[in-house]
Amino acid sequence: MSTVFAQAPRAGVAAAAPPRRSWVQRVFGETPSAWLYILPAVVIIVGLAIVPVFWSLLLSVQDKDPIAETTKYVGLQNYRDIFDDPAFTGAVRHTLIYTGLFVPLSIGGGLGLALLLNRRVRFIGVYRTLAFVPVVISATVQGVLFSFIFDDQFGVANSLLHRVGLGPQPFFADGGQALLLLVLAGLWAGTSCVSFCAVVYLAALQDIPPELVEAASIDGARRAGVFRHVILPALTPVTIFLVLWQTVQGVQLFDIVYAGTSGGPGQSTYVVVYYVFRTIRDSAYGTGAAASYVVAGGLLLISLTSIAVHRLRERRA
Amino acid sequence: MSRRLIAIVLAAAAALVLAACGGGGGGDTGSSTGAKKSSAPVAITLWHGQNLIAGKVIKGLVEQFNRTHTDVKVDGQIGADADSLQAKMTAALAGGKYPDVVYIFGPNVANLARSPKALDLTEAVKTKAWNWGDFFPAARQAVTIDGKVRAIPALIDSMAVVYNKKLFKQAGIPAPKAGWTWDDYRSIAKQLTNKSKGIFGTGWPGVGDEDTVWRLWPMVWDLGGDVLAPGGKQVGYGGQPGLRSLTLLSQMATQDKSVYIDKTSGSEKMYQVFNSNRMGMVPTGPWELPQIMEAKVDYGVVPMPTFNGKPVTIAGPDTWMLFNNGDDRARAAQEFVQWLTEPAQDAQWDVAAGSLPLRRSTAAQDVWKQHVAKIEGLSTFVDALGNARVRPVVQSYPKISEALGQSISGTLLGQQSPPDALNKAVQGGNKALAG
Repeated sequence: MSTVFAQAPRAGVAAAAPPRRSWVQRVFGETPSAWLYILPAVVIIVGLAIVPVFWSLLLSVQDKDPIAETTKYVGLQNYRDIFDDPAFTGAVRHTLIYTGLFVPLSIGGGLGLALLLNRRVRFIGVYRTLAFVPVVISATVQGVLFSFIFDDQFGVANSLLHRVGLGPQPFFADGGQALLLLVLAGLWAGTSCVSFCAVVYLAALQDIPPELVEAASIDGARRAGVFRHVILPALTPVTIFLVLWQTVQGVQLFDIVYAGTSGGPGQSTYVVVYYVFRTIRDSAYGTGAAASYVVAGGLLLISLTSIAVHRLRERRA
Repeated sequence: MSRRLIAIVLAAAAALVLAACGGGGGGDTGSSTGAKKSSAPVAITLWHGQNLIAGKVIKGLVEQFNRTHTDVKVDGQIGADADSLQAKMTAALAGGKYPDVVYIFGPNVANLARSPKALDLTEAVKTKAWNWGDFFPAARQAVTIDGKVRAIPALIDSMAVVYNKKLFKQAGIPAPKAGWTWDDYRSIAKQLTNKSKGIFGTGWPGVGDEDTVWRLWPMVWDLGGDVLAPGGKQVGYGGQPGLRSLTLLSQMATQDKSVYIDKTSGSEKMYQVFNSNRMGMVPTGPWELPQIMEAKVDYGVVPMPTFNGKPVTIAGPDTWMLFNNGDDRARAAQEFVQWLTEPAQDAQWDVAAGSLPLRRSTAAQDVWKQHVAKIEGLSTFVDALGNARVRPVVQSYPKISEALGQSISGTLLGQQSPPDALNKAVQGGNKALAG
């Protein structure tokens, strides 16, 4: 657009000299074919991301019965309904507990692991490779595996406990423990596990100039001091990214629940995305859309807060 | 100039692609072309939802049909796993492009029958070719809603107890016989249980889904209860029938600790425990027999125990539902399903899918007779069909099942007392019925 405006007066002054601009160029700018090149991507993004967002907003204020083919506008009733539904409020609570435990533990654990892997010892390449293995394990496999290991009546975990003289635990038969086991499963493997955080931290650690650390030690800083005043500050941007990323992953927890517990026992491991899945499966499209809007709203709030915090810190610095 | 040419060509190409996408989503090009040329076969789509052996057999049957019928061409697709076909079909109906024949679980028929696209087959099955009275009563009941036939039986099972002969012998317990009681069942399960060896008397799915629930109905029916109370406005499992059933489960699971409770969906683990010779008895359907035989378990089959000596069990039917894609295709779909459920084809299918005959005349087929003779205990399942009842075909059944399932699961895991659990299940069920 700016080029069009910038060139418009010139075209008026000396009509003969500048090259003539076709109507295509006038509408689409200097390089109209660029639009054609990005068209496929634009169509896909608009079709698969933007349209569904608005469509589900529409769905969330409708009572749509896809089988009987009736649609009724109900305003905010779907939203009121989900907050009256103990399954949904429970799911929100479980999601918050899961995220609250998962984020600090994965980041703390990841940092610890990264510091260990950042040493110059023999076979460090092997250790680093091994540490990355859990990241590529599918969360579904993970969920099934955990449900076997921690079966209260049959699992390996209880027989180990028995061997060291401890009483058997209910594990997946108990609502509270089941949720904690899901945290453990999430930390242990999958695309957002401890190892993933470790890999990200390791890259950041290796970016810290050795001179900084050396200078600090020459100035008399001990290891703890170097860590606190040199390494940690250098890792701040990465930490902020990880907090945001892991929170999003935590809120979107679904696969290990689906494969491991199906939300049970009872509804004690229902999480919000699993709730959305169940409602859509039961063809309550309106309720499902409302619930996913609540999840999306929550994620948006988290992202905006973290950006705001980041801005504030930058301004203060 | 050449750049402009490229731009125009690209634009034209993009327009073509978009037009093609739009056309694909549009509608049933198959039926319109089929209608114009009467000689071309009418193409219909089938979603059968079958994997592995059953999937191969249905594929073979479809090929056989296409070979022998020139007027109809069936495109057999899995569609989705049978468990998810109802959800997929709902989405397909919402999208306006859906198959002609779909495999739907019995409890879901009432819900999908609300669709204006679902065919009403009441008149169609009256023709002689269908021989409707030949289907077992439980199978017919399961597809009849308010006196109207809304689906065709696709598969029928009954429940009986499969027991491990080796474990019975080891524990010195005589094999159970027809006419045994639930008290016998409980005490045998307790005797079979051996904690140190990791052996359980019996098992029950504990997730709280329909797999948890359907096994309870024979008990409830036996005690005079039902899914729905007469009139259908309230649930019928409250009071004594529900309480005694749940109490029995609770005593076995929490006092005797003789029940392996499978906390994963699909109950795969429960059957694995049985197949590894670590479970004495499991109430199940005939579909498990092939796996049990493959695991080389020395097993026997006995009818369900009772409270009152009057045998009763549950039949779990699945169905073919037909959807309207125009008259030609609807007629073709009926022709195909009618052929598929004829005794000769039914027998092939039952043998492979590990299910029971849909029709009385199927049971007289040689293929079937040889099959029954080969498989230990299969005849017990067939005989059980005689006193099998089915769940009512009502739209709110899935919600009722969900409420009761949570209560059974809570009882098994000792988190709820039977009276509390029953109260919740009754309240939840009545709420579902009230809409």
